[in-house]
Amino acid sequence: MANRRGFLAGLFATGLAPMATWADAGAPTHLAAAQRPNGAFALCGLDGVGDVIFTLPLPGRGHAAAAHPIRPEAVALARRPGTFALVLDCLHGKVTAELEAPEGRHFYGHGAFTADGRILFTPENDYEAARGRIGLWDATRGYKRIGDIPSGGTGPHDILRLPGREVLMVANGGIETHPDSGRAKLNLPVMRPNLAYVAYDGAILDMIEPPAAEHLNSIRHLAVRADGLAAFAMQWEGTEDTAPALLGLHRLGDTKARHLAAPPADHARLLGYAGSVAFSGDGTRVAITGPRGGAAHIFDPETGALTRILESPDICGVSASGDGLLFTTGTGLALTGTGTGLALTGTGPGIQAALAFDNHLVKVL
Amino acid sequence: MRLAAPLLALALTATAAQAATKEEVIADVVDHHILPGYHALTLETAALDAAARADCDPQSAPLRTAYGSAFDAWIRVSHLRFGPAEAENRAFALAFWPDTRGATPKALAGLVATEDPAVDAPATFATISIAARGFYALERLLYGEIGADAPAYRCRLLRAITADIAATSAAIEADWRESHADLMRHPAPDGPYRDDDEVLRVFYTALTTGLQTTADTRLGRPLGTFDKPRPTRAEAYRSGRSLRHVVLTLEALADLAHRLAALAPDEQGKIDAAFARDIARAQGLDDPTLAGVADPGARIRIEALKQGIDDTRELVGGEIAPALGIAAGFNALDGD
Repeated sequence: MANRRGFLAGLFATGLAPMATWADAGAPTHLAAAQRPNGAFALCGLDGVGDVIFTLPLPGRGHAAAAHPIRPEAVALARRPGTFALVLDCLHGKVTAELEAPEGRHFYGHGAFTADGRILFTPENDYEAARGRIGLWDATRGYKRIGDIPSGGTGPHDILRLPGREVLMVANGGIETHPDSGRAKLNLPVMRPNLAYVAYDGAILDMIEPPAAEHLNSIRHLAVRADGLAAFAMQWEGTEDTAPALLGLHRLGDTKARHLAAPPADHARLLGYAGSVAFSGDGTRVAITGPRGGAAHIFDPETGALTRILESPDICGVSASGDGLLFTTGTGLALTGTGTGLALTGTGPGIQAALAFDNHLVKVL
Repeated sequence: MRLAAPLLALALTATAAQAATKEEVIADVVDHHILPGYHALTLETAALDAAARADCDPQSAPLRTAYGSAFDAWIRVSHLRFGPAEAENRAFALAFWPDTRGATPKALAGLVATEDPAVDAPATFATISIAARGFYALERLLYGEIGADAPAYRCRLLRAITADIAATSAAIEADWRESHADLMRHPAPDGPYRDDDEVLRVFYTALTTGLQTTADTRLGRPLGTFDKPRPTRAEAYRSGRSLRHVVLTLEALADLAHRLAALAPDEQGKIDAAFARDIARAQGLDDPTLAGVADPGARIRIEALKQGIDDTRELVGGEIAPALGIAAGFNALDGD
């Protein structure tokens, strides 16, 4: 693979080839931040079963990444409260641009592109004002900062584009933090998370909040099905034994979200913490991962029924792959969740990499 | 509670290197750490309420003393936010801090401006903004300007706050004694805690969150940055309690850590020593309001204290978490 990539890289450098695509970078289907055994951090490209196609060094711990929809280009964003993001040319393994959050802002580790790849959106903390903002960067001009729009809440974390619309879904976690106090949560008594639908011009088209009694249920991560059904994963900021459902489903315009949880004994094992969420490729299943509980819960989005539990320590990354789902773990496993029975252990072909996969698995479109 | 750690150290040295059972550790934490702490809070807040009823003048020496003792009692249990303290938002109602948006002065000023009669009925007062309830609101009345123009109303407001603090504290202790202590001592598959590990994990989270709050919030917020220190973000600086709260929480957390470390007796000495170092550093500061954050010389010592607490948290993660069977995964610990 390295030889092919090297050859192609040379070809592109001579200008003899058309614009490079993801296929030229080995056709990774997913991106994941990771940590190497020596402690160094990296961004990995993976194929549909979790084989590592490339790894590129990162200067600090990543979190998620944003994959350019056309070019083999990934934006690796520092985990909060980091202020750097690197644009990586995944073909040549080079950094082609560096993003620095504006003064008074930091990133949250997530980003999203417009469908044509011209603009990158980055959730940001305007921390003196404790306001969430979405930064806009022009990917056609070396990722020049071109402005920002409101996120619709406090602590915007994950961001996704609604398929076929010029609308962003933003998981406003509701938690106020400030770099002076690290990752300490400053507003738990009054935190109000929400899922906001934000038009590219900044208009808030719709917003849903958990019921008032569940205001500690921080909406943090998102997935969306081709038909626009949104899934959101939550992290309960109360004590784990009081945790409500950690998965919600919502559609733009609906007055209420549906909350899904496993039966109490299984639900309790997630310890109030869902790390990632994804729909299966065929849209018939929706999964949340629980790295603290070491289990993923897979549901039928139509009936809301739990269909499967997949157990693996530190399981966190999840994404659609083929018709199904691909999971990654902090122990370096990649698992494909096949089958629909309520099996207690994973049966997919786990692939052990010498890498600890970080929180999220991002689909390359 | 202050004396508890050294006393227990002696008790457990007798069985050195013999790890306690999980049940023993849970019973020890409940009986010797949690229940006495919340009992002291009930007593001290009742005394505070009585002092306010006797004399509501903010300058009253007995009232200010009672405020200090009751606040001490709260800070000593403020890391124990689960169960009865979490129910009905009681811990938040006792302690609305940090107040990053200035909600407490705003809410109090609003009550004063309209002379809101909510203060005359405890049941109604318990439903107002939690920013206007609890110790930090009380501090604003005792050591701030709010209500100075309306002393009669301020008196009613102050008494409403102390009565509410006392009632909330008593409710927490009652729940502990009536049910929650047993729920933790005897986990059951159909209870909120299904096994000993779940109980221990809640204790462990209280310990590490307590350390994080003290390092990042109590110290980190006033430290700000070197170019922009924020002394007025120090906790309860108006009543000169900022450093005291650091010391009190470290003492309480040291006691909890020592008891949990009975599961890893070989590491107990190391953990005790780390806390002793942090407490000594804090006590050595001689800076009640942490105003030294703005003075380069003093600042270094406050930063060293913060760093020490961060190190202690790491030590606790490395030495206690494994003994409690807590997953220390790359993602499990990330919290993102």
